[in-house]
Amino acid sequence: MNNGCLENRKKEHDNSQKRPKSYKFGSRSDDFALAIAKVAVAQLCESVGFQGFHLSALETLSDISVRYIYSIGKTANLSANLAGRVEGNVFDIIHGLEDLGSNLGFSGASDVDRCVVSSGVVKDITHFVGVSDFIPFAYDVPGFPVVKESTKTGSFWEKGEDPPGEHIPSWLPAFPDPETYATRLSVENETMGVSNGKKTESELERVERNMDRSLLNLQLRFAHNENKGGSSHGSGYVATESNPYLAAPLHVGEKEVSSVILPTKLSNEVALRNPVHVDVGNHVSVLETFAPAIEAMKSGLCDSDNVKKKLLYDQRPTVRFKIGIGKKSLGTMSDLNSQNEEDLLKIASWFGNDNEKDDKKR
Amino acid sequence: MNHNPQSSDGKHDDDSALSDFLASLMDYAPTIPDELVEHYLAKSGFQCPDVRLIRLVAVATQKFVAEVASDALQHCKARQAAVVKDKREKQQKDKRLILTMDDLQSHCASIFIGVWK
Repeated sequence: MNNGCLENRKKEHDNSQKRPKSYKFGSRSDDFALAIAKVAVAQLCESVGFQGFHLSALETLSDISVRYIYSIGKTANLSANLAGRVEGNVFDIIHGLEDLGSNLGFSGASDVDRCVVSSGVVKDITHFVGVSDFIPFAYDVPGFPVVKESTKTGSFWEKGEDPPGEHIPSWLPAFPDPETYATRLSVENETMGVSNGKKTESELERVERNMDRSLLNLQLRFAHNENKGGSSHGSGYVATESNPYLAAPLHVGEKEVSSVILPTKLSNEVALRNPVHVDVGNHVSVLETFAPAIEAMKSGLCDSDNVKKKLLYDQRPTVRFKIGIGKKSLGTMSDLNSQNEEDLLKIASWFGNDNEKDDKKR
Repeated sequence: MNHNPQSSDGKHDDDSALSDFLASLMDYAPTIPDELVEHYLAKSGFQCPDVRLIRLVAVATQKFVAEVASDALQHCKARQAAVVKDKREKQQKDKRLILTMDDLQSHCASIFIGVWK
């Protein structure tokens, strides 16, 4: 930020950026006011005779000036409240100035019967105004902070509506019109079944739908209370039916679920293998052990075959994994039957790649 | 209580002086803008519809800042004079008067304002 001929030295710029969060006058909301204070202080320094300043020094001085204003206001407010007033007057401010000036002292401070009107502080200020040059502020400052106009939703009383229920006072904001959300809900039910995977609706619409859903439930509940007095659950049931989150949970087998698609290698092996045969030996292949599980997955979720169930839960062959690191491991597997050879070769190919990688690493 | 005519006239003079001063403030626009002062006075809880009082606070703050700045300038000049005495070579470099934290800190300590870097 340049102010005429003043230049900034950003030597301690990094240090000035680090502000503790509990900094009273350094919060984000105060940045604008602090910036204005910096400009004003820079102008004053220039008028005094400075040709440049460190950024940290400028920030410190502007912070001090801001705190000065704040402390004047606080002391003046305190003296006004002590006098039983809400609004301050000139005497309160002079009291505040005297309090702040008591460090250095002002003329007439020791007088016992001094009058506030003839305070030495005021005389000093009058003298200062007469001596100092007229330096207007460099920029046009708009009135801040800008007060946002709140959109007031009319209450029941203002709208002339009767609140649905004796427990709701009339001064509370009225409920939104049913037309704003009722039609949306019907459209939403249609689209729910159609587009499960499609992301046609944006995030905003989804949020709105959720809000509307809850509002509709509320509205239906009140409508139900009005009509029947809370005896039956007809409308409530309707509400729950329309709301998928409140629907009854599905049992196993009620809804068709897509089956799991196995990778091509495993699926080929399962097709070739006999699922019942389980060879328990010193070296058991991985596929043999998990073949029953794979078969179960292939057939579907509903297991009607008890044999397969037994395979899943009763038989648990002892598994001894011996994953060979080098080529010697292949030789130990040669004594097994031919049915395993195809599996072993495929498994070996998987591990073989790893071995090559290991060799390269070495 | 003694009511001397002289003291009462003096009080009237003081009253008039104060009111005249406040009226003159409307012509003199201080460097610190009114909006800024209003913002911080509102933050402190001080309510006042009178613009003259806000101008009074602004002028008081301006006086305070000017005093601090001028004292810091004195420190800066004194430091430069000391440097010039020792090393005449650096005279051209340090011609410019720059407000630094050291000057500020030394003056603020004298008026009981704690400043830390």
